[in-house]
Amino acid sequence: MDKEVDGILVAAHELKAPLAVLRQLALSFDEMDATGEHIRSEMVRVSERAIKQVNDLAKIRRLEDGLFEMEPVAVRAVCDEVTRELSYLFSHNRRDLFIKYSNRARLVTANRELLYSVVYNFLLNAMHYSGEQTRSELSVQDYADKVKISVRDFGPSLPMDVWREMKRGFIEKPTSIAMRPGSSGLGLYIASRFSRYMNAKVGATRHRDGTSFYVELPVSKQMSFFV
Amino acid sequence: MIFVIDDDTTMAECIARSCKTKARIFTNAIEAMAEITNGLMPELIFLDILLDGPDGFTFLNELISYSDTRKIPIVIVSSLDYSGADLSKYGVIGYLSKDTMTPQEIYWYVRKYAK
Repeated sequence: MDKEVDGILVAAHELKAPLAVLRQLALSFDEMDATGEHIRSEMVRVSERAIKQVNDLAKIRRLEDGLFEMEPVAVRAVCDEVTRELSYLFSHNRRDLFIKYSNRARLVTANRELLYSVVYNFLLNAMHYSGEQTRSELSVQDYADKVKISVRDFGPSLPMDVWREMKRGFIEKPTSIAMRPGSSGLGLYIASRFSRYMNAKVGATRHRDGTSFYVELPVSKQMSFFV
Repeated sequence: MIFVIDDDTTMAECIARSCKTKARIFTNAIEAMAEITNGLMPELIFLDILLDGPDGFTFLNELISYSDTRKIPIVIVSSLDYSGADLSKYGVIGYLSKDTMTPQEIYWYVRKYAK
């Protein structure tokens, strides 16, 4: 199948899933009056995630126009914000999220919005691939003149071909549905495109019991008050 | 007892709610199979096909390999179209599209096969 068509198919499938869930939640109102508030909040969350995914896809088109400025960004603040947003989803899916900061809170050169999406998509991918009651780990480390943000899951190991693409530093297209059932291949594709735009190195490490996805960003030359 | 196997927890909860009876949710096939191996035999299974790890067909193949589990009625719940496929050899008694199914249709299977 043509690569572009395959990519569109994956994107369409992943965007259809939250719509199907929204429809079921809306239908559930008739069934359970007592849980109406719970269903309403769930509908809001599912819609927000879908909107975010659509926005990220739209941003890929805008990358070509160079509309995202690079600026000094506080990595920890971005990571804190993403984990706050996703904490509900992790606990709802009975997954644990561990955060480990071992860097000196340095600023990196990045686009805040794109970096947020990279971390968000890595974490969503980790949650998806980790089994119930297993954990995912988000760590931020210093590496000479770089800061490495890494997200580790304890799910099945990454397929070799996806790993090779990540090793090359770029995923060419969203991964085929047939190859990675129920996957968040679209999220990794988005993270890979955004990282490349920011001149960040993106990659993956295969473990016996899972996978780590990472992005390495150059340290900003701007002075930080927190160093 | 009804099993709902779907890696989308919210969708799984919607299906379980529509069953109006005790339903266990599993986000992957391995955990569901482990429960069956431990002796918890479901009366009916609502099964998604695209799952993390082993997919729905791997699970179906496993079920039909044993005389006791091959009799468990299965309803496929998927966003992929299996409406024209004959999956009866897997013990599949029905197919529900995630795009069009209603709580009433889910409950119809529960009333017919699990009560």
